[in-house]
Amino acid sequence: MEAGKRKTEEEQQTLVDRKRKAEISEPPPPTTTSTTVTMNAVESLVTQIQGLSGSPNDVVALHAHLNKVDEALRGESARLLPFLDQLDPSIHSLGYLYLLDACTSGPVSKEQATNLVLITSRFLTSCSTEQIRLAPEKFTGMCKRFKDQVLLIEAPMRGVAPLLVAVRKVQPSSEHLTSLHPDFLQLCLLAKCYKTGVSLLEDDIFEVTQPRDLFLYCYYGGMICIGQKHFQKALELLHNVVTAPMTSINAIAVEAYKKYALVSLIDNGQFSPSLPKYASSTAQRNFKNFCQPYIELANTYSTGKIAELETFVQKHREKFDSDNNLGLVKQVVSSMYKRNIQRLTQTYLTLSLQDIANTVQLNSAKEAEMHVLQMIQDGEIFATINQKDGMVRFLEDPEQYKSSGVIERIDSSIQRLMTLSKKLTNMDEQMSCDSLYLAKAGRERQRFDFDDFDSVPQKFNM
Amino acid sequence: MASSSSSGLTFKLHPLVIVNISDHYTRVKSQMNPPVASTSCSNTNGSGNGGDSAAVVAPAPPPRVYGCVIGVQRGRTVEIFNSFELLYDPSTDSLDRAFLLKKQELYKKVFPNFYVLGWYSTGSDAEEADMHIHKALMDINESPVYVLLNPAINHAQKDLPVTIYESELHVIDGIPQLIFVNSSYTIETVEAERISVDHVAHLKPSDGGSAATQLAAHLTSIHSAIKMLNSRIRVLHHYLVAMQKGEIPCENSLLRQVSSLLRRLPAIESEKFQDDFLMEYSDTLLITYLAMFTNCSSTMNELVEKFNTAYDRHSRRGGRTAFM
Repeated sequence: MEAGKRKTEEEQQTLVDRKRKAEISEPPPPTTTSTTVTMNAVESLVTQIQGLSGSPNDVVALHAHLNKVDEALRGESARLLPFLDQLDPSIHSLGYLYLLDACTSGPVSKEQATNLVLITSRFLTSCSTEQIRLAPEKFTGMCKRFKDQVLLIEAPMRGVAPLLVAVRKVQPSSEHLTSLHPDFLQLCLLAKCYKTGVSLLEDDIFEVTQPRDLFLYCYYGGMICIGQKHFQKALELLHNVVTAPMTSINAIAVEAYKKYALVSLIDNGQFSPSLPKYASSTAQRNFKNFCQPYIELANTYSTGKIAELETFVQKHREKFDSDNNLGLVKQVVSSMYKRNIQRLTQTYLTLSLQDIANTVQLNSAKEAEMHVLQMIQDGEIFATINQKDGMVRFLEDPEQYKSSGVIERIDSSIQRLMTLSKKLTNMDEQMSCDSLYLAKAGRERQRFDFDDFDSVPQKFNM
Repeated sequence: MASSSSSGLTFKLHPLVIVNISDHYTRVKSQMNPPVASTSCSNTNGSGNGGDSAAVVAPAPPPRVYGCVIGVQRGRTVEIFNSFELLYDPSTDSLDRAFLLKKQELYKKVFPNFYVLGWYSTGSDAEEADMHIHKALMDINESPVYVLLNPAINHAQKDLPVTIYESELHVIDGIPQLIFVNSSYTIETVEAERISVDHVAHLKPSDGGSAATQLAAHLTSIHSAIKMLNSRIRVLHHYLVAMQKGEIPCENSLLRQVSSLLRRLPAIESEKFQDDFLMEYSDTLLITYLAMFTNCSSTMNELVEKFNTAYDRHSRRGGRTAFM
């Protein structure tokens, strides 16, 4: 055994020397006639990776070479694991990536998955950004497989931090949406760590390559915001899904529309099924057919009667449950109470707790007190409760908007709006030059301009 | 040639004269063919012909314009109100006399009080040849004045580039000669002139403009004022820092002045003032914000319209209808 090993080492050395002297154009064919030869090929590849990971030019040459041997590596996927230890992920990131990708390309069992997850997390946290940006698709593919492995071992939490690092590394800029964004958000949802997900949602996205990525990203993002009770931001994200351009209806958008209706009820107290004019016409025509119970829920909500709402919810309970929206629907019902109490602030200056309970159809004054207290704490109304005589006194919003903090906020908003305005003007100009638009706009013009014939207009605008 | 005058006459110059001279000069210069390169820029663009592409084409010398100034002389005060142009005859090296007399007659009809007080020209300094013209005018006015405008734009110079010369008999090398001597003058304005000078200086729209242009003009003037204030404060700050570091010897009188200025600064420092000030400030900011929002929304609206026209297969067939 020992002699054999030593011999192969010598063989390997000569092979490496020969390869180093001559330009390697063809990788050794991946025949399994001699496993030692292919192992040597991998060894030589490893040493090559180690050698060529210094300067950027070398890395580019390495990249080209790795692309050629990629197929060969995939054939060897089962046996590549030990070679990974010879490479340092932070220095030899590109080579490590290719080897790791080849390792995971085959089917992976549960025990292997645990090991692989460990290796991949370490790689993701320590890899070098410039090197992996040379092969973004491979990186993305490997990360997706990483996510599957993490789900396989049922520990989504372990994938959250590495994937966040991976997303940041593969993004060309914080305004770009990659395919990894929705995967990351999905893991956050499954692991229930919403805060990390929220940190990714802070960025404004301006560049999207794949529409599916955008749909999933906004849908998952909306769900995360609902989990964090940031209903305003959830509404924004879901609105993006619902009004995104689409030529045919897709399931993500339909689900998003259902959640959009519910969140809009919780946040705004109203929901109108008509979509704004920038929504695609496919959406405008087809959504209503799929989301009938939700629209009826919105109609019941607008009557303001809690009893009716609750009976309606009971009736369609299974439907809501099958859509996994039952929790949200329950929140809608509780928001009804809030809405009614808020309506009271516009009519009364002071009101007793018992009266509140009666008007809002709560069971007792105690419940009313709890509700009002919760609302005061959340900042939804301004009031003081006098416990001695059970009176609630409604107050005005004490915010005077006089502080310098307010001014800073407005100022920063103005700055943001200015950059946004520049972007919009650019997009408008690009759109005007778009060939499709010009073709259609030209077609819709009348053959002869009205002004050509008649110098006197038919109607005078006085 | 430019010693100060001892005649004891006080000169008052109206801005109309200055504007007239500058207008005359600008017109002539811009009508010249080929156009004269301005003195500040060089002529090294690539369109020079091949032969002397290396050499810089010498700019034509700026033209000299000539004219007459008229006004009133009351006692020791000479007030120059107006001016008109004259043709310069390079062959006789003098001003066109017939034209001068005719113009003088016309102006006499309109302004009976005004007399020909002298003449004007452009250039950087008074020259020997000017004495010719000066002497020629002496038969109309015993001691004419010579108003010289320097058209070269010098940003460092703070005063007007206008000089008034008188002629005096001086004995130089035993020969009595007439030479030009510099005289001081003041600028005198009438209300009508002030408005027109303002107009020229700020290029206000002649019809009062829309509210937008007026606002823009107002804000521009405020901006330039604040910029100037800022630069002056910066100079002071730089000076004080240098003094602190010890690079410049301490000057206590200056320090006292600076400290008294600083002590005058926060004129009002009360809570009520802060409140009101911040409220007004946030109101203005909100209005700007609203304006920007409207602007953005309208751009967005146009973008959406275009997008719908281009990409939405079933968009409403709008287009232009027959009747507006």
